[in-house]
Amino acid sequence: MTTVKTAPPVQAPGESRVRRALSALGAAQAYIGLVLVLAVGIATKGEMFLNETNLTNAIGAFASRGILAVGVTLVILTGGIDLSVGSLLGIASMTAAMMLAKFSLEPWQIVPICMVVGALFGFLNGAGTAWLRIQSFVMTLAMLSVVRGLDRQVSDNVSVGTQIAGPDGKLTPQAEAFQLFGTPGHNLFDRIYYPVLAFIVVCVIFHLILTKTRFGRHVYAVGGNPTAARLSGVNVTAVTIAVFTLSGMLAGFAGPIDAAYSASADPQAGQSFELDAIAAAVIGGASLAGGKGTIAGTFVGALILTLLDNVLGLNAVSDNWQLVIKGLIVVVAVVLQRPDLFKIFRGGSRS
Amino acid sequence: MKKTITIALCALLAAACASKAPAPSASSGEKKKFVVGYSQSNNAEPYRAQLNLQLQHFLKKYPDIELLPIADAKQSSATQVSQVQNFITQKVDALIVSPTEPAPLTAAVQQACDAKIPVIVLDRTVNTDCYTAFIGGDNVLIGRKAGEEAVRLLPDGGNIVELRGIMSNQPQIDRDKGFREAVAANPKIRIIADREGKWLKEQATPIMQQWLAQHQQIDLVYGHNDPMALGAYLAAQAAGKADKIKFIGIDGLAIPDGGIRAVQLGQLSATFIYPTGAQEAADTVNKILHGQPVEKKQVLGTTQVTKDNAAELYKQFDLSGQN
Repeated sequence: MTTVKTAPPVQAPGESRVRRALSALGAAQAYIGLVLVLAVGIATKGEMFLNETNLTNAIGAFASRGILAVGVTLVILTGGIDLSVGSLLGIASMTAAMMLAKFSLEPWQIVPICMVVGALFGFLNGAGTAWLRIQSFVMTLAMLSVVRGLDRQVSDNVSVGTQIAGPDGKLTPQAEAFQLFGTPGHNLFDRIYYPVLAFIVVCVIFHLILTKTRFGRHVYAVGGNPTAARLSGVNVTAVTIAVFTLSGMLAGFAGPIDAAYSASADPQAGQSFELDAIAAAVIGGASLAGGKGTIAGTFVGALILTLLDNVLGLNAVSDNWQLVIKGLIVVVAVVLQRPDLFKIFRGGSRS
Repeated sequence: MKKTITIALCALLAAACASKAPAPSASSGEKKKFVVGYSQSNNAEPYRAQLNLQLQHFLKKYPDIELLPIADAKQSSATQVSQVQNFITQKVDALIVSPTEPAPLTAAVQQACDAKIPVIVLDRTVNTDCYTAFIGGDNVLIGRKAGEEAVRLLPDGGNIVELRGIMSNQPQIDRDKGFREAVAANPKIRIIADREGKWLKEQATPIMQQWLAQHQQIDLVYGHNDPMALGAYLAAQAAGKADKIKFIGIDGLAIPDGGIRAVQLGQLSATFIYPTGAQEAADTVNKILHGQPVEKKQVLGTTQVTKDNAAELYKQFDLSGQN
């Protein structure tokens, strides 16, 4: 369901049913988790939780991180990691706000520029990883720092607002249009909250890319076994550079959404978003060893995190306990991915 | 190849050393030039960026004082300690420190003091008396003023929600304490919810959305800084409730999307200027270096920003284009 199995697990004849059950649970864990969160939400807060405004608000607040999670999933599938996406979102949101404030560009011009900026840094991540053979953890950790520094430098450490008023005291047409990208209360066709739509569309597109294209198969192949992939003619270098570039591009796309959401680009925007993005991917069943995971899983993982945040918030659970609960859920998600753990407890060896 | 790299590295190192070493003071004999080092706890907060800008601006008024490039401790006490020690090694004529945290910086400030370097502690305290001057705002006072304004805005009582900064930060603790003391004046005022907004606008919006879903009536939002108050405003505006709720912030920065402008636009009912102390620090440094007496503890007041004085205050504190 949420996982792509390279080979069916070999089951010993007398193996306990519990282990098989756990294995099935691991495959469906994201969906079970989502159902559990929804159940707790409905049980404790009922209509307040389930109404459209609340759900839209909750998902909208997480949408930019969800889009980052899609990019991070691509990288994780190849066996890498991208820690720089939070910083990339930050510089893209700053780029968006500055393009709007200084040059009065239209939103349709701003978004591609931000995507190019993100893709450029993403390409550097990929080049460093594939050509210079720097571990992706180190490469993107360095990029996290470099890009955050650049972000702070170009902005002079001061936030840039996107609600730009003209001489008549009203918002300029460009600023007015930019708000559509995510300022709460501004909806496409008076109905659809843009960040939610953007997140879903990104998920669908990348789900199709991964499942229906040759590139998608190559991504899984590289993560599953790079040597085998190379021997069977997959251009591992190109695939690696491509996933980092796409991840950067998606962070660039999330930038304007984040800037519109808070009606300003903060020099600290996006800090620690990479952790939420990775958590969403992992809860959704992506394996940091590579080769295992789906966009559908990441989407559900993001939903779990955002709805959990909402449910805990509505129940007035303190921030400290929220951190504890979210951390525990990540651990549970990873443990459920590893049915072999059960064997270890029974005294068996982990092969 | 290896040789080239080595040479390049040596050159780089030499350049780095050269740029760090202050002009040998008083060696030329005629006119003494004073060198001042400043270690800032974190350049990334808009408030501190503004402080840096102002300090550079006000120190320019004294041509015999040279401010070294401001050292950014990036919220790390360890980094800051080594920065202070660097300045001591460089034998600066005076040192300004905005400590990230009091305890870890105490020893470093003590070292500077032992090295006979005058130290000005700006904004946050250290646990020693061995410094020349302390200049800082009073967050309890500002919190109390905000509370008094809340009492004034809600004469018949009402429900308040509070967006707090990072829970472990002293300003957060003080801004909360003062506020609660003041609103206790009216028993019909209740603080019905409070949460950590981490000083960030984008954190505040979803919290406010949840509160709006949860509570029948919210009459006033108290944000520990302006961005959080404005993040809550965005949520309320989207829900069509912004004009029924009052918003109070703190900081009052004179930047285009800061608190003073927000008061002018009617988004915030009030904000309170948390003074940077930059001007006082510049004046104090000058006095110390010229052997004049200075007050050891200078606690700065606050100014309430209202619709009436906002335009004037913005002009007073706006330094863009002046440096």
